[in-house]
Amino acid sequence: MTKVKVAADWLAACAGCEMSLLDMDERLVQLLDRIELTSTPITDLKHPPKEGVTVGILSGAVNNTANIEVTKQMRERCKILIALGDCAVFGGIMTMRNFFDMNEALKRAYIETESTVDGIIPSSEEISKPVQAQPVNQVVKVDLHVPGCPPSADAIYYVLSELLEGRIPILTGDNLKYD
Amino acid sequence: MDKMMNIRINGRQVRARSGQTVLEAAKAAGIDIPSLCNHPALTPHGACRICLVEIERQRTLQPACTFPVAEGMRIETESPKVVEERKFVLQMLFSERNHYCMFCEMSGDCELQALAYKYGLDHWTYQNPYPKIPVDGTRKYFIMDHNRCILCRRCIRACGELAANHTLGVKFRGAKTMISADMDIPFGDSSCVACGTCLQICPTGALIDRKSAYTGRQAQVERTKSVCMFCSVGCGTEIITRAGRVLRVEGEWEEHNKGVLCVAGRFEPVYTKRDRIQTPMIRKNGGMVAASWDEALDTIAERVKGTKGKKVGAWTTCKTLNLTMSEFVAVFRGKIGASVGVLEPTLSELELPSGGSLNDLLSADCILVIGSDPLVTHRVLGYHIKRARMKGAQLILVSNNSNEMAQFADKKFSRDELDKAIRICQNSASPVVIFGEGTNQKEAQKLAGLKRKAHFIPLFPATNGYHAKVLGLQAGLDVSGMEVVYLLLEDITLQEDLMKQARNAQFLVVHASYREPITEIADVVLPALLWSESEGSLYNLEGKKVPVRKAVPLPEGLIPENEVLTQLAARL
Repeated sequence: MTKVKVAADWLAACAGCEMSLLDMDERLVQLLDRIELTSTPITDLKHPPKEGVTVGILSGAVNNTANIEVTKQMRERCKILIALGDCAVFGGIMTMRNFFDMNEALKRAYIETESTVDGIIPSSEEISKPVQAQPVNQVVKVDLHVPGCPPSADAIYYVLSELLEGRIPILTGDNLKYD
Repeated sequence: MDKMMNIRINGRQVRARSGQTVLEAAKAAGIDIPSLCNHPALTPHGACRICLVEIERQRTLQPACTFPVAEGMRIETESPKVVEERKFVLQMLFSERNHYCMFCEMSGDCELQALAYKYGLDHWTYQNPYPKIPVDGTRKYFIMDHNRCILCRRCIRACGELAANHTLGVKFRGAKTMISADMDIPFGDSSCVACGTCLQICPTGALIDRKSAYTGRQAQVERTKSVCMFCSVGCGTEIITRAGRVLRVEGEWEEHNKGVLCVAGRFEPVYTKRDRIQTPMIRKNGGMVAASWDEALDTIAERVKGTKGKKVGAWTTCKTLNLTMSEFVAVFRGKIGASVGVLEPTLSELELPSGGSLNDLLSADCILVIGSDPLVTHRVLGYHIKRARMKGAQLILVSNNSNEMAQFADKKFSRDELDKAIRICQNSASPVVIFGEGTNQKEAQKLAGLKRKAHFIPLFPATNGYHAKVLGLQAGLDVSGMEVVYLLLEDITLQEDLMKQARNAQFLVVHASYREPITEIADVVLPALLWSESEGSLYNLEGKKVPVRKAVPLPEGLIPENEVLTQLAARL
């Protein structure tokens, strides 16, 4: 049986969702019998393969122009896109920044931070530009939303195993959490 | 008798009373219709639209909380159409403001969140570009975070209907609507009396208790039903604790106060910073030295035994629980023939009836207040007077001094004009007389003329005054001729002149919870328990015996007052 290809990537995220993914423990090994993780932020290969995957997973909020690229690329290369975690689903904690003027926020982060000496705001042409923090579904179409900060390992396992059974997972009970 | 009618809810035959709303009828039949703005203690409002149901022959879905039942009505509460609309309403509620659960104090206990879980809301259909709304932190005890507010107006109704204070209202219209205080001033500067009823009734994290925020969710805390011990109204409370610590106090909906408390019962007790007495203490070489219970009790017993009963005086505050007060009398009067009294007036010399209730107040058409200022000393009763006034009762104030009630009084009389006030009561259908310690015997005799007609509510100056009155205890400290004086003070502070008087005794025992000037000048000090540690009962001003329950474990080495008295008696 060919394995189902799954790619994951993160945007503006804290890695909490990835920790939860690893928290599946031995169930992760069972899953790997049936799926192939082509690329993830915590393995060697980072980008989803050009030939595409069945399931794409994004965690984190869309926070800058690079996030937009990653998001669009994932959407193009996967059939089913999962927004994983509160940031990807709702925008999450990053949206607090939306209340501030962008220059004000950058100044606070790169110059005024208590631990910073002689700070400068990065301004290279090569790096991305910050944008208003937003959930993934504001940039591309999302097929499945898995909220939670982070979503529990059980919820992630449930979603992946339902998909493997050819069903659309519906989160209920303890699998559906916003915090 | 209300007329009964037959309705069908989800195909089930249900009997409903005429005048019931669809929501009430469903609830009585055990059928759950979700609601947010509705609360059993408040008038239905129909603000949130979560309770929409399908009613046959109605053009659109109708809010169950405001729709009255009618004979033969057929209602669907979870039909596909209803569920779809309810999800839409939820999406609209989430779209207006900041409802990110992950950084909300109420997450886990929030009624809005619970509904979103129930209806499987896994993302927001209408992404939320929520506006930046300020947080009002100007009140001492709790914070208003407008960002979490769903404009259900429970707080406004609690403020108006339950506390009868009418501080809260709304400003602006539509999505810009905002809860506001008085004529749009900061909550802390407003006419708010900090009763905290709005805080208790808020379904989301819009109102946050400063002290207990983030200290534990409902599932992590324990709730102990008890009674507020800070005045004789004796409001039903729930003491919320975790790991043996009091987090906050809430009003009990099922008791006569119907969930309402005042600042003195809800907030002040958990903010107290007074210095607790942790062990018995004995005066040695001019200072107070920690001692064992045995040593302290032996010292007292020795001194008492060496003194004639008549020369021993024992006074207790009325704040003690029933058993302690009875034990106090049994030990000091019964066993050694000492003079026994209470520190606060018991209103017994007025020889007026008692037994009037807060419910009697709410159904009164005329309320006479004399010798008291309920809004200062018995606030929850004061709120009930204001509520009765809203329902049309006439408030008659008899007072020569400035009185918080004055601004709400329909008629004000000086004490010389009491006859006029009584005449108005005589001409009304269901008068209630509220009398306090400022009432004199002559006035009481005149008021006695209303005995047959009116309900009487005595405002005992201290919590268990009713029991002290029943026990026939003499009020007032009088140590003249006393060699040994025993004062059971609990957590009260003794006035300076009384303190000086007490110190005239050769030997002074003080039994109290906190270090106070008097505990520094006593010969023996015994530690007493606090309101949250006591177990027993007391009488509220309605004359009803109510159970006081221990919410936290006793601090190490502390013994309940009645047991201390028993141990002392064993030595005499």
